[in-house]
Amino acid sequence: MTGEIFNANPTVYALSKRSTRKSKFEAGRSLWVDEHDQPKLTDESDIEPIDQDEIFDLIRSIADPEHPNSLEELRVVSAEQIEIGHNHILVEFTPTVPHCGMSTLIGLSIRVRLMRSLPQRFKVDIRVKPGSHQSELAVNKQLNDKERVAAALENATLVGTLEKCLEPVGEHGSL
Amino acid sequence: MDVDLPCKLELIADLQGHDERAWQVAWNPIKPLLASCSADKSVRLYSYRAPDHGCDTVAFSHVGTIPTGHTKAVRSIAWAPSGNTLATGSFDSNIGIWEREDASDSEDARGKVADWECVTLLEGHETECKSVGYSSSGTLLATCSRDKTVWIWEVKPDADFECMGVLMEHSQDVKCVAWHPSEEILASASYDDTIKLYIDDPSEDWYCFSTLPGHKSTVWSLAWSPRGSYLASSSDDLTIRIWKRVDEHTWKFVLELKGHERSIYSISWGAGRATSESLGWLTTTGGDGKINVWEINESPSSKGPLAAKLLASTSGAHDVNDINSVSWCPRPDHADMFATAGDDGVVKVWRVVCQ
Repeated sequence: MTGEIFNANPTVYALSKRSTRKSKFEAGRSLWVDEHDQPKLTDESDIEPIDQDEIFDLIRSIADPEHPNSLEELRVVSAEQIEIGHNHILVEFTPTVPHCGMSTLIGLSIRVRLMRSLPQRFKVDIRVKPGSHQSELAVNKQLNDKERVAAALENATLVGTLEKCLEPVGEHGSL
Repeated sequence: MDVDLPCKLELIADLQGHDERAWQVAWNPIKPLLASCSADKSVRLYSYRAPDHGCDTVAFSHVGTIPTGHTKAVRSIAWAPSGNTLATGSFDSNIGIWEREDASDSEDARGKVADWECVTLLEGHETECKSVGYSSSGTLLATCSRDKTVWIWEVKPDADFECMGVLMEHSQDVKCVAWHPSEEILASASYDDTIKLYIDDPSEDWYCFSTLPGHKSTVWSLAWSPRGSYLASSSDDLTIRIWKRVDEHTWKFVLELKGHERSIYSISWGAGRATSESLGWLTTTGGDGKINVWEINESPSSKGPLAAKLLASTSGAHDVNDINSVSWCPRPDHADMFATAGDDGVVKVWRVVCQ
């Protein structure tokens, strides 16, 4: 990482009220939902569809890579920017400045958080808000290229940086 | 929905064993062997035998695992045309060349396969190697990487390799390399949305003689038609394009196919079981977990448009998982059989069954 700060003085917003409903995927930090720890969902009618708030709860406390704030406090992510389809989730995020060099790292941290929390059946697409970044297409393309994401997650230095961003979400479950 | 398609896909083997995502499958061109590679850094080998009186389907059995020693995912594998050598391309940026320790080729009575050893490690790429492929004669090996380059290696005796050229034509990651089935023509596909074609200038070096633009996003995979007069490409733009050779060095876009909802990661073109005007069977798969099988036909005059007929389609072929690779069995007696590899770490073998 370079020492350059892309947005030296970001606006920090107040936090919205935390959703009272608890995501059933939040039980552990493991990559997969462990069947033994989960309530049995044998009856089809027991399965509640996942909603925007649940996804937002999973990603709101991710730390910004260059500020001591969460993605929610910087309004990088919001519940309104999450779309849910059938086994499909689209997360849009808004970099704080259009030249933000941290955008791919932020997007990757959102992807990893969702990968670790959601059942495998969900396909996830991550994009920057249209018009919010000068390299919008390049950032979107990289974040949704599965091979690049897989290779990035075998890069120890990058994973170290990612884990720092994801540290706060670990505490989140106990809040 | 599988409505009124003339054929069905029958699952004939469900081969578990990789601990992580399986990236690619490759059939040995000579021996009844299937190999798969994975993010778990291993290569698994399966042998198969034709139906006999005891059993009416092709039976697969696990005959060996190569731990490889690559320090990151094994992304790509390719057999040499001799069937005696296997190449592995890894995210650790190196290429491994593997041969059986026991060169006498005498499998013992139980049909056990001897151990495979790394006879050469090819270094040179700066970042992840994404695809490897042998030319039809087996004298050349091509490799490509996120470092934007394609390398052409000459295969010399005693597992010696000499780099014949480093092609720096693409402006982004190179995702796939594929050799023409009979001539020394190489195709490469890239994250820069283009396909490039290369030949060797006898007096000079390898060079790019054509760029095929048209895809609107990453080109993931390439497949030559069995006789080499067509090239198919699959892309993140959710289309498959077919390019026809209209002149020795000229390839023209002639047909676009759709039918996938997410990135089309892999495409394979086999001989199929069809008539003389047929160009064979094309199978495609990707992030939507669907497998499509098309029959491609040339119009009788060969001047008219190509015709593609969807023979079979199956969704959720690896449950909810992405499918990363598809490959037709090259043996003429099993031309209706292909294998797939998925994010579930599973390798599956399918047969196209038509009424």
